[in-house]
Amino acid sequence: MSIGVLLFCFDTEHTRYHRILERCVRLVRKNISDEITVITDFHTYQRMSPMGHINYRFIEPELGNKKDGQEWRNVDRHMAYELSPYDTTLVMDIDYFCFSDNLRQLLQTEHDFLVPDTAHDLTGRNTFDQRRWSMIPMVWATVLLFKKNDRVRKIFDTVKYVKQHYSYFAEMYRIYARNLRNDYLFAMALQQINGFTGYDKMPFALPTLPPDCEVVKMTDTGLAWKHNDQISCVEHQDVHVLNKEVADV
Amino acid sequence: MDINELKRQSDLSYDTAVAKRNALEKARSRQVMAYNGHLFRADADTICLVRTLKESLDTFCVLDTNHNPVEITNPAEFLGRLIERNQESLNAYKQIYQTFTRKG
Repeated sequence: MSIGVLLFCFDTEHTRYHRILERCVRLVRKNISDEITVITDFHTYQRMSPMGHINYRFIEPELGNKKDGQEWRNVDRHMAYELSPYDTTLVMDIDYFCFSDNLRQLLQTEHDFLVPDTAHDLTGRNTFDQRRWSMIPMVWATVLLFKKNDRVRKIFDTVKYVKQHYSYFAEMYRIYARNLRNDYLFAMALQQINGFTGYDKMPFALPTLPPDCEVVKMTDTGLAWKHNDQISCVEHQDVHVLNKEVADV
Repeated sequence: MDINELKRQSDLSYDTAVAKRNALEKARSRQVMAYNGHLFRADADTICLVRTLKESLDTFCVLDTNHNPVEITNPAEFLGRLIERNQESLNAYKQIYQTFTRKG
C-alpha cells in the first residue's frame, strides 16, 4: 500500500511560494516521508531549485480567489483525491513546517479521513477563536489525511459540490468571509456528508503563527519570530506560518 | 516600584507564560501516539486506565482519541509504549521549563 505526502504550490505575482515549498519539502523528507508529490504549474516548476526525487503533477490553477487584495491560488485542494498517486495521503499546506515527526504516525492508523479542528496561537492571543460565529464546527484543512475508498471519494465529491455552490452554503452556515477558504469548504462538506453529526479528527491543535508575526530565523529544527519587538522561538514543534514573507527568510 | 521595572517584569512574566503554554501544547501534541491502527493520548488518565485493566485482564477494550473501541491484546507492550511516550514528552517539557526558571 502506497503512502505519501501531497503538496500544492503555485507562485503568484506577489509571493514566491516555491521558496516556501523548498523549505517545506526538506522538513517533510526529514520528518514524515520520502514519498512526495507536488501539484504545481509549469511556470512555478521552472523557478524551483532541484529538491531530489519528487513526483510532479502539473495543473492550471483555478484563478479568481483573493486574500488581502492579492491573488491567492488555493482552491484546487478539492482535487487532492484524484491527483494523489497514493493509497494513503497526507495533504499539507506548504507553509506548515513539520519540525517534528508527529504527523508521521497518522499514516499508520486505520482512519480513512482525518482533519484537525483546533489551532493553537503561538503568540498566546487566541486569535483563531474568532470563528465561533459560524453555525458549524470549523476545521483546519491545513493538514488532511485520507485513504482512497468509496466513503472518502464521496467526501471529496461533496467538497466539489459545496465549492460549486459556495455562496449558498456560506450564507447558510453564516460564513462571512468573502474569499473561498478550504477550511470552510471542508467544514461544510464534512457536516453535510456526515449527516450533520461529528466525525473523527486529529487529536491535537495545529500550532499556528498569526500573520502579524515576522519569521526572523528558520533552521531544520525550529523557527524564531518577532512580534511587538519581542523575539520568541519554538523547536521540534510543527508550525503553520501565516505570514507569507517567510519565503524571504 | 519604578514603572519601567514594573513594565519589564510584567513583559517578562507574559513572555514566560506564553512560552510555557506553547511548551505544554508541544508536550500534549507529542503525547498523541498511534497503536494498533488507532490514536491514543499517552497521558496520565490513559496510563492509569491501562495499568488498572492490565492487572485483572489479559485482553481488554479501550477507547481511542475519537471514542472508537480498540481491543488491546498485548497490554504490557501497550503500557510500555504509553509510558515511553509520556516521559519523552514530559522530559522535553521539563527541559524547556528549566529555561523559564533560569530567566526568573
